[in-house]
Amino acid sequence: MTTSVEAGVEAPEPPAFIDPRKGAGGWLSQHVGTAIVCGFLGYILGHWLGNYIGSAYPYIANSGQNSLTDFLALLFMVTGWLLGIGALNYPLAKIVGREAKGEVQYTGWTRYFRYNLDHKVVGIQYVVGVLLFFFTGGLLAMAIRTELLNPTVHVFSADTYIKIVSEHGTIMMMMASSVIVGPLGNYFVPLMIGARRMAFPRIEAFSLWTFIAGYFVIFSALAYGGFPTGWTGYAPLQTQAGPGMVSYLFGFAVISVGMMTAGFNLAVTIINYRAPGMTWSRVPVFVWSIIATAALLTLASPVLTAAGLFGLLDKVDQTAFYVTEHGGSSYLWENLFWFFGHPEVYIMALPGFGIVGEIIPVFCRKPLFAYRIAAAGMIGVALLSFFVWQHHLFQSGIDPDMRPLFMLTTELISIPTGFIFLVGMGTLYKAKIRYEVPMLFCMAVYFNFLIGGVSGVFLSDVPVNVTVHGGFFVLSHFHYTIMGGLIFAFFAGLYFWLPKMTGRTMNKKLGLWHFWTMFVFFNLTFFPMFVIGMLGQPRRVFTYAKNLQTLNDFSSIAAFCLGASFLIFVANLMWSQFIAPQKAPANPWDSLGLEWQTATPIPAYNFERIPVIMTDPYHYSEEGAPELADFGHDPPVHASSFTARTDPNQYE
Amino acid sequence: MTDMIKNSHGISDTPEEREFELRAHIGSIWSGGRLFIGMYTFLLASLVFSYFYLRSSNNGLLWRPDHVTAPTAYGWAIYSLTLLAVLMAIFGQSRLRKGGVFEWQTAIWVGVAAALLALFLQIYEFTAVPFYPGSSGYASTFIGYSVINILTIFIVAYWLETTVARSLRMNKELGGVNSQLSMHPSAQSFRANVASMTYFLGFVALASTLLFAMFYLL
Repeated sequence: MTTSVEAGVEAPEPPAFIDPRKGAGGWLSQHVGTAIVCGFLGYILGHWLGNYIGSAYPYIANSGQNSLTDFLALLFMVTGWLLGIGALNYPLAKIVGREAKGEVQYTGWTRYFRYNLDHKVVGIQYVVGVLLFFFTGGLLAMAIRTELLNPTVHVFSADTYIKIVSEHGTIMMMMASSVIVGPLGNYFVPLMIGARRMAFPRIEAFSLWTFIAGYFVIFSALAYGGFPTGWTGYAPLQTQAGPGMVSYLFGFAVISVGMMTAGFNLAVTIINYRAPGMTWSRVPVFVWSIIATAALLTLASPVLTAAGLFGLLDKVDQTAFYVTEHGGSSYLWENLFWFFGHPEVYIMALPGFGIVGEIIPVFCRKPLFAYRIAAAGMIGVALLSFFVWQHHLFQSGIDPDMRPLFMLTTELISIPTGFIFLVGMGTLYKAKIRYEVPMLFCMAVYFNFLIGGVSGVFLSDVPVNVTVHGGFFVLSHFHYTIMGGLIFAFFAGLYFWLPKMTGRTMNKKLGLWHFWTMFVFFNLTFFPMFVIGMLGQPRRVFTYAKNLQTLNDFSSIAAFCLGASFLIFVANLMWSQFIAPQKAPANPWDSLGLEWQTATPIPAYNFERIPVIMTDPYHYSEEGAPELADFGHDPPVHASSFTARTDPNQYE
Repeated sequence: MTDMIKNSHGISDTPEEREFELRAHIGSIWSGGRLFIGMYTFLLASLVFSYFYLRSSNNGLLWRPDHVTAPTAYGWAIYSLTLLAVLMAIFGQSRLRKGGVFEWQTAIWVGVAAALLALFLQIYEFTAVPFYPGSSGYASTFIGYSVINILTIFIVAYWLETTVARSLRMNKELGGVNSQLSMHPSAQSFRANVASMTYFLGFVALASTLLFAMFYLL
């Protein structure tokens, strides 16, 4: 059987993924409304089925808590949601052998409420999704800080307080896992590599709607009475907890499926859809960060899925994975959870590094310093992140003789992380910096991450770890790395790319107000927590020593101001995009990035001609720098220029 | 530019661009299949880790009390049927490479039947295990294994069935006999899918053997 394709002899049509028909079907077709209705019906069906099945098994019926019902209700709710939005249309059509049909390409605002296969629409949908997570988690944070205003006068009971803390932590961590990969990764990776599409647009859309479903599942925990374990869900508290724990376990499992599929699609797209000439040494640093993150998402998330599954089986089928008295082990959860959980930290951090690395050369008008080291650093961090999880068990569940090994691996990971940091410093060195809003956010990332990173090096040392474990010092450390690093980088990316995404420019004055209030009040909120932690205040406890009240009040008031700073962002977004929109220039920052070289608004196919890449996008202020790409190659570049990578013969 | 053909966006593509898109698509199926194996490996590794962690911990000497015995007959039947489905896929692919489309389809249908039977047996075994799920560490991991095996066999059955269904429809759509072997993009994509599926099934065979040995023989 011969399979070679002679260029120029045959012009096969690539499989279509978008149907050019506009808006067929209207409101009778699938959209968020049908997803909600199907999800609701699924919930009722699952609830009934759970009761029906549970009554047939004495060990479930007599357990005093039919978690099977709670689980099946949520499972059917998610299935109904996916069915209602249209995520299962294609998998079902495949059963009778149908090939993927082009999806109807809806136009106008209704496309944002549908299962859309355009990566740019999915990117915008993700923005809304992560902001939904972020503001829900943020409101819960305000509730936490309100409770901590006074050690003796309480707003919430101790039980309610820990459940608010748990919900806050879980929602924020799940949001953070996708906050950059979802919106900005999905939107910009194809544009940055010169691709017209994602490799698996249906899987990309599936990841989004699964992510949203995960939000509802985790949020449903509050309706079930919450869960008291914090975001880490440790056993045996997990085993003893009420039905809200099912929402936690299942929600994590659902979101982990969303994370896996998102990472899977992005990795395959970057490997296969890079435009001709886009060699690995020309790949933008943001794309490097996304492929490193995608590898972590794809490989670490299944462990979380398994951990969640085992926890669910403990609840639903009365197994004893995490029940020490019945031959299980509560430490098993800790191992599985943190085997995912520590790479998760870098799932959150790496895209932030990528954004900053992408933005600072634009505002420094200098090439990215030591590009290859930045890329190597990201891969190094990704690899090493699989070998550090045991440092979370220094206080429990680890042979003390093993501590030095994991102390060493944890300290080792600061080396590639330091590389990435130094690449930034090298780029800033002697640069004539333009202090635009995105750049300010990038500078803040370096400032915050320095504090978060250095405190992390302390925490990797066993003696310090043992001393400050479970206290506000740790809490402050990870807020500095995740919020101070990732969330600031997310806003840097948003301010930088929103003009391209929407064609409208953000108000600079409001942007500056947003930045300065967020930066100042973030530090005023979290820096005192280092001190509070050193003075001995434990996490997740609703009262504390009287002498810590002043510091806690200071931190709480700063937190309220920090919360208010996000309202400035929302106001800016509303004002700039909807109330008084101003058309953005085609390339407002004079970036050399490939994503800025296409039309605004970006057409559905991204590039009229597949660009041929000539060099990397960092030749700022270089005389005689080569052109970035050929966008209208005539005569066309022969396909043999990229056959080495994509010879179809090798796949059969 | 010559030989321009309009794509689904109404944009005229050059033959080279079309070829690039097609090769990227086929490459995605290839690398996606491998990445899927990587993903699945970590899922199964979590189960294997749990098994050995609880076995070595043996908390309360409750790793595996004497009365906790796996239903070996079911285990053998499920394992053999899974293996049969895989072998059919491997045999089928060798025939397809030699142009034997009908033999491939027959082999895959046998594989689908074997996988569905294995799925039925695995679900039945899960609902009727002869021990209390929380009676020991082994019992718990066995239940976890059963659930993951249900998922695995379901994926095997689904992938086999959708591939053979596609090949049947392909003749109708492309209007020819043995169009699966043609140079049409759908046919090339189909063959890449068959290759990825067979590779994944080979992985399933290895993983099933390991897990069968752990849960039924050790």
